[in-house]
Amino acid sequence: MTLNRRLFTTIAASALALGLAGATLAADLADIESAGTVKVGMLVDFPPFGLQDNSGNPDGYDADVAKALGEYLGMDTQIVPVTGPNRIPYLLSGQVDVLVASLGITEERAQKVDFSDPYAGISIAVYGDKGVDVSEAAGLDGQAIAVTRASTQDSGVTAVAPEGTQIQRFDDDATAVQALMSGQVKLIGASNIIMAQITQATGDRFDKKFDLSSQVQGIAVAPGSDALLDKVNAFVGQATEDGTLDGIHEKWLGEPLPDFVKTAK
Amino acid sequence: MYQFNFQPVFDSIDLLLNGAWLTVRLSLMAMAAGLVVSVLGAVGKTSGIRALRVLIDIYVEVIRNTPFLIQIFFIYFGLPAVGLSMSPDSAALLALVINVGAYGTEIIRSGIESIPRGQIEAGRALGLSPVQIFRHVVIRPALRNVYPSLTSQFIYLMLTSSVVSVISANDLASAGADLNARTFASFEIYLVLTIMYFLLALGFSTAFGMIRRVFFDYPAGR
Repeated sequence: MTLNRRLFTTIAASALALGLAGATLAADLADIESAGTVKVGMLVDFPPFGLQDNSGNPDGYDADVAKALGEYLGMDTQIVPVTGPNRIPYLLSGQVDVLVASLGITEERAQKVDFSDPYAGISIAVYGDKGVDVSEAAGLDGQAIAVTRASTQDSGVTAVAPEGTQIQRFDDDATAVQALMSGQVKLIGASNIIMAQITQATGDRFDKKFDLSSQVQGIAVAPGSDALLDKVNAFVGQATEDGTLDGIHEKWLGEPLPDFVKTAK
Repeated sequence: MYQFNFQPVFDSIDLLLNGAWLTVRLSLMAMAAGLVVSVLGAVGKTSGIRALRVLIDIYVEVIRNTPFLIQIFFIYFGLPAVGLSMSPDSAALLALVINVGAYGTEIIRSGIESIPRGQIEAGRALGLSPVQIFRHVVIRPALRNVYPSLTSQFIYLMLTSSVVSVISANDLASAGADLNARTFASFEIYLVLTIMYFLLALGFSTAFGMIRRVFFDYPAGR
């Protein structure tokens, strides 16, 4: 058992090292087409974007987008589970053709991989009781707002909140949400993912007050895979237009694809 | 070799001192109110009224056999469901009082039971009123007998109060966590926090020693 695990770790580490050190393998569209299968890397530990269903199969927003991509390309989709740290090495070493892995588009990453137009996004906003009239940061004065300590929403709220705001910091998302749901605070700084879960649990008790920041995610291909990237971009464009992404987003996050994703390029 | 950098801690020492001040106030108020609850509970338990004793037993057993973390969650997140909503600081205080009250009840009860019946009868024989008997013959010697366990329970209460950061009360532990989230100087921050809690405990313990000398330093003939 121990030996097996050690062997596995060694192999995994060498594979990773090779992947990191080896020359970047651009994906050739013709090769993929002749294979008839597109290999898509996705996270399975990042719900609701990537998760495993009860029988252990990859599921979630990314899985549905990956399948839609396969259909668009007229190929079978083979989903390869990847992790946050190894997703880019998997792509660059050619073990997957594309990543639909909730990869946030950042300049740093754009130097290593080529991103498609955004297909998803995570936004941080202030949400709260429908009855509370707040539409900008100045309105937080005198209000109690829950955030998760040291989270993006914590720094986002702290940066804009006026002096008189009572920022109540909780140790995790669940506790901050508890404070909102139990009525101890009327406002919360949260991501659209958390908010989708809250809405699912409470119906229409809360609404969005104002946005704090957002991050869009793109489908990634290895640099130089231009033909493939064009196809992927065509897919993202069409899926955004014809409501495919809206439908998938509605299914997993309770609302259509947010406008900040559609408008970001 | 780890490079110590206390600068972030000293830059935000106000934050920590404010947190420490809330910890001190919370603890003092919880000790005072908890002492009242404990004495009432102990008197109720030893009163001989069966219904009262059963009621207090339920309170003591429920509190002593459940985690403080759950108690404080129940008060802060549970009670609003029945319309009882309070600020994090008030909820923290209430939870601490209820908690220390249960432990204190048992401690003081054992103190009261350590008073020999004969002394109370002696008080009666001297013509003392029931109130005088309770004050001078029962409760004062009882408190004196259990003073060490009671005060260590109180110091334990002060240390336990660090848990209230989970409901976002801005106590010392919470201030430390906030500072840690901003600066990531964990080792330095928690080292300073450890020293601060230790000094607070030492301060309380010294104060309890002085109180003991003022109120309970009389010869006991046993």
